[in-house]
Formats: sequence, structure tokens, C-alpha cells
Amino acid sequence: MVHSVFLAEMNPLKPVIAEPLFRFSIGGHEIVFSNHMLMITVAGIILLIVIPLGARKKNLAPKGLQNLIEGICVFLREEVARPALGESTDKFVYFVWTIFFFILTLNLLGMMPTESMYYLITGRENHFGGAAATNIWITGALASITFVLTHAAGIKKYGLFKYLALLAPKVPLPILPLIYVLEIISALVRPFALAVRLFANILAGHIILATFIGLIIIFKNWGVAAGSIAMIIAMSFLELLVAFIQTYIFTLLSTLFISLAIEAEHG
Amino acid sequence: MIELTGCMLAAGEPSSNSLAIFGAVFGCGMAIIGASIGIGFIGGKAAEAIARQPQIGGRILTAMIIAAALIEGLTFFSLIICFLAIFWMKG
Repeated sequence: MVHSVFLAEMNPLKPVIAEPLFRFSIGGHEIVFSNHMLMITVAGIILLIVIPLGARKKNLAPKGLQNLIEGICVFLREEVARPALGESTDKFVYFVWTIFFFILTLNLLGMMPTESMYYLITGRENHFGGAAATNIWITGALASITFVLTHAAGIKKYGLFKYLALLAPKVPLPILPLIYVLEIISALVRPFALAVRLFANILAGHIILATFIGLIIIFKNWGVAAGSIAMIIAMSFLELLVAFIQTYIFTLLSTLFISLAIEAEHG
Repeated sequence: MIELTGCMLAAGEPSSNSLAIFGAVFGCGMAIIGASIGIGFIGGKAAEAIARQPQIGGRILTAMIIAAALIEGLTFFSLIICFLAIFWMKG
């Protein structure tokens, strides 16, 4: 009974803030382990346990967990990867699957009130939860993995100089340097937009939820609380939809960038 | 946040970056105008396309969601720059 009183005093913006949990040193450098890093570790462990469990039985008519994972994987391979990549689908489909399941697990874990659940079980004030996609470094890391993969795939297929020459379309010689500069800028801006899109969508959702909770704290009124909780429920539904849509958009755009790099475009 | 604004209005003295805060909030409002016009256009055209040919409704819905998410990505870009002006400027 006393737990639920203290539950209301928790800061509603807690999932968004990356607070260091403990530090450890490797070599001469100090590594700070924050709650967002804990969430990506938890997401990795969950995926390492659940997906091999779903892939163990090889029924031809799948049901249960195998059906769920296989349905998502087949959808990603046939609708997302194969129209864009064509014959090199089998090389890159593993990356597509990994990115999709990882970001989906991160977003769905961010919508669960993990610190409150831990507090209700053990009674200790803690900061063990959080939405990891609200950290620009984590989404930036995912976007830079995509960036490195696209250009490494292009360079591996074509060789370094031919790949750099393929970046620009066939235009007359005077405006070729300008087109080249534009292509270089767009190749750098695209992963940045990828990172900021995921970051800002999830962050905005959590800030909206925290604002509605803050309304209850400011007004201290039953009517405001009822309306606010109805809005929070509606916004949480929207946030779950946004979590799925943003992971799909991230995966789709990564696949499109890979396909732009490895096909002989502007040819 | 509400107490801060109340203090500012009551004391009548502007803080050192009140113009930046005003500019950032105004920029947020302007950005949302463009995004809502764009997404409304997409939604309208998608509804017309589904009305013309209802059996490909699923594919049109997918294309509409993708285009709306891309436009929202750009809007959040400008939102982040507005946040930069309010919260992360030195002095």
C-alpha cells in the first residue's frame, strides 16, 4: 500500500534521461554504464534467447512463436529486401532482420514501465529502465552501422575508384564537380536523418506522455486526472503504433540505401 | 516551466535569451504548418486512390504510411534545432 504512494513521486521524464548506473575502467579509459546501455544489453539478451527458441522446430506449417518470427522474417525478405536488392538479397537479409528486431525490441521495452515494476517488486528506488532510442548516441550508432555497410558493400562490389566514379550521374563536364559535391553531402546527410528521425519520434512520444502526467502534478484535481489519464491511454496507443512504424521505416530506408550503393545506378 | 513563465511575466524582466526562446517556439509552429499540409495532401490523395481501385487498398496504405513518416522525420529535424536554441545554447 505504501508503495503506490511513492510510485506517484517518480519523475515522469525518467525513461528519457540517461543516468549513469555504474562506472568501470578498462585500460586507461573510463566507461560509464548508463540505463540506456542496460536496455540495449537486455534487448540483446532477449533476442538471443527468443529467436533461437522460435527457430528450433522446423515445422512446415508453423504455429506459435515460430509462426510469429517466421511471418515477420518472410515479410521483411519478400516485401522489403527483394524488391530493392534483387539477386543479392541473401547477402543482406540478415542485417535487415537484425536491425528490425533490435529496434523493435528497444522501442517496445521503452514503452514498458520497467522502473515502476522493479520498484513494486523490490521496493527500491532505481533507474533500471528507459527508452534506449531516446539517446542520440544509440540511434547514431545504428545509423553509422548502416552508413558503413552501404559504402563497404559498394566498394567491395566495384572497387574503390569505380565506386567513387559511380556516385555521380552522367552530366556535362562543367557542372560535374557541383553534382559530385551534392552527392557527397546527400550521402552524409542520409544516415544523419535516419538517426534523428528515430530519436526524435520516440523522444517526442515520451515527452508528450510526461507532459500529461505533469498536468496532473500541477493541477492536483480529480477531473484533470481523469481526462489526463484518458489522453495518456490514447497517446500510448499512438506511441505503440509509432514504435512499429519507425522501426519499419528505419529498416526500409537502410535497405534502400544498400540497394542504391550496389546497383549500377545512373548507368 | 509554468512557474518560470509566471515569474518572467510578473517581474517583467526579460532573460538573456528570451528572443531565442521566442524564435524557437515560433519556428516550431511554422514547421508544423508545412508538415500538416503535406501529410493532409498525402492522406487525401491516398483516399482518392483507394476509392478508384479498392482492391489495392493495402499497398496504398503502406505507401501512405511511408511517405507520412518521411515527412515527419523532416519535421522532427526542425524540432530538434528548436530544442537546440532553447536548451543547449551557451549563455
